[in-house]
Amino acid sequence: MRELELYFGPQHLGMVGNLSITLTVEGDRVVNAAMNPGYLHRGFEKLMEQRSWIKNFPMVCRMNILDPDSMEMIYAMAVEKLAGIEVPERAHYIRSIYLELARAGSHLFGLWAYSNMLGFDTVAQWAMYHRDLILDRFEELTGGRVYHIYIWPGGVRRDFPEGFEDRLVSTLHSIGGCVPDYDATFFNNRLFADRARGIGVVTREDALAMGAVGQVLRATGVDDDVRKIDPYAAYDKVPWDVHTSEDGDAYSRVWIVRNEMIESVHMIFKLLDAMPKGEVYNRIPNPFKWRIPEGETYVRCESSRGELGLYLVSDGGDKPYRAHFRTPSYTHGLTILEKALKGASISDVGNIMMSLYVVAPEIDR
Amino acid sequence: MNDSPMNGQLKKKLDSVFRDIETDVSDDGRLTIHATKESVLTVLSLLKDEGWSFLQLVSCVDWIKQDEIEIVYVLSSYVGVEDGPDAKGEPYAKGEPDAKRESILLKTRLPRSEPSVLTAIHVFANAEPYEREIHELFGVHFEGHPRLTPLFLDREYKIPPFRKDFDTEQYVKDVFDSVPPIDEES
Amino acid sequence: MAKGSLLSSLKVARFLFRKPKTLRYPFEKKEPALRYRGFHLNDWDTCTGCGNCADICPNTAIEMVEVLDLEVGPGEKNERPKLDYGRCCFCGLCIDICPPGSLRLSRDYFHTHFNTDTFVFVPKDEKSDEETFLPAENYSILKASLTHRKRDYEGFSSDLSYALFEPERVPMPEVPPAERTLSFVEQVIGYDREQAVREAERCLECRLCEEACPAHMKISDYIGAIYNGEPEESLRKIYEDNPIPSICGRVCMKHCEDACSLRLRGEPLAIRWLKRYVADTIQDFKSTLEQQPGEPTGKKVAVIGAGPGGLSVAYFLRLMGDDVVVFDELSGGGGVIRIGPPRYRLPLASIEKDADHVASLGVEFRYNTKVGTDVRFQELLDEYDAVYLGIGLTVSRSTRVENADKCRLALDFLRKNKTESMSKVTEEVIVIGGGNVAMDVAREALRLQHMQYPGEKVVTRMVSLEDWDEMPATEEEIEETREEAVEFNPAWGPKKVLLDDDGNVSGLLCMKVKSVFDDEGKFAPTFFEDQEMVLKGTTIIEAIGQGSDFSFIPEDMLTKLRFNEMRKVSVDENGMTSLPGIFAGGDIVNTNLDAVTAIADAKIASEGIHKWMTRSR
Repeated sequence: MRELELYFGPQHLGMVGNLSITLTVEGDRVVNAAMNPGYLHRGFEKLMEQRSWIKNFPMVCRMNILDPDSMEMIYAMAVEKLAGIEVPERAHYIRSIYLELARAGSHLFGLWAYSNMLGFDTVAQWAMYHRDLILDRFEELTGGRVYHIYIWPGGVRRDFPEGFEDRLVSTLHSIGGCVPDYDATFFNNRLFADRARGIGVVTREDALAMGAVGQVLRATGVDDDVRKIDPYAAYDKVPWDVHTSEDGDAYSRVWIVRNEMIESVHMIFKLLDAMPKGEVYNRIPNPFKWRIPEGETYVRCESSRGELGLYLVSDGGDKPYRAHFRTPSYTHGLTILEKALKGASISDVGNIMMSLYVVAPEIDR
Repeated sequence: MNDSPMNGQLKKKLDSVFRDIETDVSDDGRLTIHATKESVLTVLSLLKDEGWSFLQLVSCVDWIKQDEIEIVYVLSSYVGVEDGPDAKGEPYAKGEPDAKRESILLKTRLPRSEPSVLTAIHVFANAEPYEREIHELFGVHFEGHPRLTPLFLDREYKIPPFRKDFDTEQYVKDVFDSVPPIDEES
Repeated sequence: MAKGSLLSSLKVARFLFRKPKTLRYPFEKKEPALRYRGFHLNDWDTCTGCGNCADICPNTAIEMVEVLDLEVGPGEKNERPKLDYGRCCFCGLCIDICPPGSLRLSRDYFHTHFNTDTFVFVPKDEKSDEETFLPAENYSILKASLTHRKRDYEGFSSDLSYALFEPERVPMPEVPPAERTLSFVEQVIGYDREQAVREAERCLECRLCEEACPAHMKISDYIGAIYNGEPEESLRKIYEDNPIPSICGRVCMKHCEDACSLRLRGEPLAIRWLKRYVADTIQDFKSTLEQQPGEPTGKKVAVIGAGPGGLSVAYFLRLMGDDVVVFDELSGGGGVIRIGPPRYRLPLASIEKDADHVASLGVEFRYNTKVGTDVRFQELLDEYDAVYLGIGLTVSRSTRVENADKCRLALDFLRKNKTESMSKVTEEVIVIGGGNVAMDVAREALRLQHMQYPGEKVVTRMVSLEDWDEMPATEEEIEETREEAVEFNPAWGPKKVLLDDDGNVSGLLCMKVKSVFDDEGKFAPTFFEDQEMVLKGTTIIEAIGQGSDFSFIPEDMLTKLRFNEMRKVSVDENGMTSLPGIFAGGDIVNTNLDAVTAIADAKIASEGIHKWMTRSR
């Protein structure tokens, strides 16, 4: 049959985010897929080389719209490591609580994108609404809704406001109370299972060979999670589970997202109970005179989509010499997706991409 | 983790196998390997065979003062693999030594004029987009790479834009100052 | 199903009168959180125009604009931040760096306009701009914009525990009060290298201090050099404007620290102690500074008085290549500074260090030479191309109450202790005065008492016209004096010195002060004649102020020397008096009466002298 070249995105109903794929199709089968990123390339890493250490802090979060908070975390971690800054105990707990809240928010956003793409409009609206409730809590804690600019080197920017814990718990309860509704309308829905089972299968061998992380890897039965392997913040202070599945398909991945969301909420409750009192910020040096000793580091944390890394180099100056972010979507979206799309049906392209949790801005940076 | 046995063993092994590399364990236990352009891929394959089978990142630094471009491979291992999925809920203390959690940095330096190195795709498939990006942003050629086409950008640049001598402000001036301001209708 | 449809239409109609479940936007606005990061607020009264917000802004959204009709005092600039909301990312770093905490964010975030110029805005707050900030009854969400905002709508604001600057000083190590009163050991020990670097790090580089410093020293630069671990570079920066760092590092009146933006919610940067650190760390000024006198001009200048002003004039002129001779009646440099500040504050070695460097440039010093007695003033006028009067205030005033002639005078007391031998004091001393000199006298007397009557009960009492809040001495000095257990009697005025039968001093009769100044702020004390008190004391020292001695100037010239209404010598913009070729500066010219102002005067005068001598005739 004749091969056709088909452009999928950046404007397409099945495409969330500014990304495009050049598909070579034969009938409605994808023969080859070539990813075409760059629509959101803002050159953040170059910009960071021209801004002082503290001026980068409000900027890094903007690299990822969906999950800005792990970007803040990874930058703070790298700077703390290079500059040798200690973080107070309570700040570690606040960071973990905050990041888990962000994970739940990010997963709800991801669920919106995925269900919307599949045509589950109601679930999409619910997810967006519930994410909004989480944003209200973020607004209260940090003063911002999407870009919180909260985790900075040395700790966090402000302590919990009066009565915040109670409101956080009640928000999480009201979202958690809707899990049965989500299950009934979406996760246990035949339509979803039919659309997602056996779709976009990534085998364990492929996942390991191609550097998969996060849900993509865990859906193949590998319980790899940076929060466990290389614990940071307060993740080693309370017990919690890593969720895995065996099939490696879209269905398994989305189910892991669901389970992780619930795990995050449980973890927040445990962290709130265990959280000590005290300081939440160790003052950083005067930002106008702050220079970080020569050195380099690679730090990693578990973002909502898997391992997020930062390779940060200082030449002893007042600005980073080089910053390079290792984002999970980079590998998932550029290497694994191209492989997973081969042989798929055109109608599953968006399905596979969204189930791999590909977020365009963090590919382009 | 200064005297972590794993890094020590690996360092010993590398030192005995290769002559043209330098190895260095930092205070916080991180192993850094400096290899030559010729040996870097062999070292990379050996590391993969030794269990550092997860290529986290391929990065590039422009050391303009030394007139060199540095390619940095960041390697780690999938700690969960051998334990299987039954190790849920427990931090990974058993089996794997601590050292495997720390990433290894493998570096090689190339001359700034016409930097070129062999592609690592055959060792690690996910090196492909990283190398494409470095080719585009730093002007490094990867021999044997099947598609060194631009990844992000759509313009041609005289100097690769992530090199230190690329003047961002001048570029902005040249490109955007020539755009006439939009007249607002009031 | 006619019946069903009839009922269901009624059901629908019911909802017409119910409150809708959804938010009616924009008619029902969701209240932003208390920490919301919206548009800026700026309290113009506390904003100092320091510009730290503009410096930290990652997006250069803030620009400092000059506000011409703004009245500013020391430590303030007539600039205010201007926000470009096309660039602002609402990160709030500007809030966390703002030293006075005047910049805050509000919960307002509405602004829609077709003209992009309206997005550039100089923020104020409800205190300074009542037209923009409206009370609830006049506010409408439909008109909300940058210029139609809600009152009392504070959002993200500054919190000192999360500020990006360090409000607290590195504590200066000092000898504790009980120990230091036993001898003349230097009270302040001085920073070591690590402490100095840590203190220097606090500087925000806003340069408000440089405007406040009379000599406009490049403070930010020399502090920066200390932070970089380069005290030598720091010393070179200091010497550009101030040739007596060892002296100023100890006794400067530090107008700079009063202007430091960190003082507003914390302690000012210890600028004086950092200067002292530099001056003390570097042993050899000459080899560090590598200064050479300027190209010889062949002009000769006589400087009368080797005080801060005289030393500075000599230094600046010498660098310009003039020959300078300095005359002073004392046996070394420093002038009033040599006799005034006690040893525990300013050791003689520090004065010599500064004076020696000036001498090393080729300035000739003629000590023990009093103009008027040892050399005639007219000779100087004949022999030199210009004369500089840096004579300072060297004569102590007396209260002139009954039997005041039995009292001792402050400067004589201090001078004797520092340059000759220690005075004999009695167990009970009374010091009259509330200024810095009075504090010095009292603290010195106390030390002498401890040394002369070891282990015995001794007391030094101070009596001053002024009450605590109007005492002219600096707060720091008063605090240290109180720490040393000197007894204060504020708001009492001396009436009569009491004598015993042998004619020796036995006490001071005082009366309660009603007011010190009149309505116009002039010194005119009034008393409650009926409220009296007797202070016991066998030595009384008067320290109520100093005057200057112009007796060396011939009568006919002195009548031509013009004074201003403050009874100060009038000088023009070049530092020249009404007598051609005679220049003046320091305490006889300015009302600040301190070393750094004398340096500032000297800088002006030295340029004036140079210009005058090399003028075309």
